[in-house]
Order: sequence, then C-alpha cells, then structure tokens
Amino acid sequence: MADLLAQGAAWLEQQRTKHLATTVTYVRGNQSVEVAATIGRTKVEADDGHVVRVEFTDRDFLILAVDLVLNGQPSEPERGDLIREGPREFEVLDWRYSDPYRQTLRLTTKHVGATET
Amino acid sequence: MPLITQVAEAVVAALNAATFSQPITVARSYLPRVELADLKMLKVTVVPSSVTVAAASRSQTQRDVAIDVAVQKKLGQEQNLSLDPLLALAEEIAEHFRVKRLDSFPGALCVKTEFKPIYAPEHIEQLRTFTSVLTLTFRVIE
Repeated sequence: MADLLAQGAAWLEQQRTKHLATTVTYVRGNQSVEVAATIGRTKVEADDGHVVRVEFTDRDFLILAVDLVLNGQPSEPERGDLIREGPREFEVLDWRYSDPYRQTLRLTTKHVGATET
Repeated sequence: MPLITQVAEAVVAALNAATFSQPITVARSYLPRVELADLKMLKVTVVPSSVTVAAASRSQTQRDVAIDVAVQKKLGQEQNLSLDPLLALAEEIAEHFRVKRLDSFPGALCVKTEFKPIYAPEHIEQLRTFTSVLTLTFRVIE
C-alpha cells in the first residue's frame, strides 16, 4: 500500500521548491551546482564572550536532497561548504534533514561576506 | 589621556612596529565589535581591560594596567595546519612583550601575560573562527 504521507510530503516539497524558492549556488572547493533554495530562519546574532563582540547573520536554507549533486555524485553537505546567494556568501556550519522522509536538507549557515570571484 | 589608554596606545604602537611571522592589522577599541565577514583578514584588537591600584611606597603608587589583545581570523579549514600558525602568532605577541618596557611609554613594564582563553573552542565550533585573547599586565609606578 502506498505511503500517502510520504507522497503528500513529496508533493509539498515540490510545491515549496517550485513556488517558494530562489536559485543559489552551492559550492565546495572547485565544484558547484545551482539549486533551488527556500530561505528559512534568518537572524542577526552576536557573541561577546571573548573581549571582542562578533556579530553575524544566521541563515537557514532548505534545498532538496536530490539537488545536491557535486561532480556528478549525490552528495551530503559538509562544514565549510559555501552558498552564494547573489553577491552574498554564506558558510555551511551544520545541516540536518528537515523531514522524516529525508527529502529536504536544512542547511544552517552564517554570512561570511561578499562573493569572491 | 587616561593612563590605561596611553598604555593601550603604546601597545598598538609596539605591535605595529614589530615584525611577526605573519602581517597584522592592529586597532585599539573601547567597544570592540566585528562582523564575522570582516574576519577573513587577520585582525588584532587592543582593548583596555582593567587597572589595579596599590601603594608602592609612602610616596609612590603602583598601577597594574591590564590590556587585552585579541587575535582573530576566519578559518579556511579547521585543521591543525590552519590553527597552528595563529596560535603561534598569539604566543609570539606574548613573547614580544615579556618583561619589556613599552618604547612609547617606558614607564610601563610588562610583568604578566595570560591567555584568556588560549583559544576559544566555541568560536571554532560555531563560527569557524579562531579567537585567542592575551591579557598583558603592565606595571606603572609613579
């Protein structure tokens, strides 16, 4: 019997990707791929525990797991990977699947400056 | 100019005049704050920290002036190869001041250096950034 919940979740993810996403470039070293990403939580934070207050922007990106193909191979995110959204560059600090069917990745990133070309 | 600020300025001058294993940009700040994005370049920040006043003699006052020096850089990689040179730089800075009088404020003698912390593991974990804070204590007797 078909898993209706899984099918429903897959349909919802397709709709999210189709209607609630922007194109970003996922970069690892010399490899990159353009993926549709939904901008998740974004907030400005600060760490002032060590003399100098470090301010940063946290941003989550939601992308389809199947879209993350680097060098022709399906890949999982890694710390230090970059996401380029227009002129801005975000660094991947952490990631997890955001749904029980492992269709969508939630990438936790921090803004690290302008894109270097 | 307050004593602690004069000492902090002299520390900035001493750092700018010195040659370390890697070039540094030094700034003095009362309210040190930095955007994570600005830490792609190595940054050294000098911050006045504290002053302890005690009697040195019936006519002289001893002031121990603590100056924090923060060494920070965004990491390309979290491997020892990237971290070792930064920690070495922090140690070089500490060694540069050890038992030394400041050239532009000779009344201040460095009597203690402390790393607080030697590096911040949570900054590596959460920000992929190296942070080391060195506290230099200068004794001024007047």
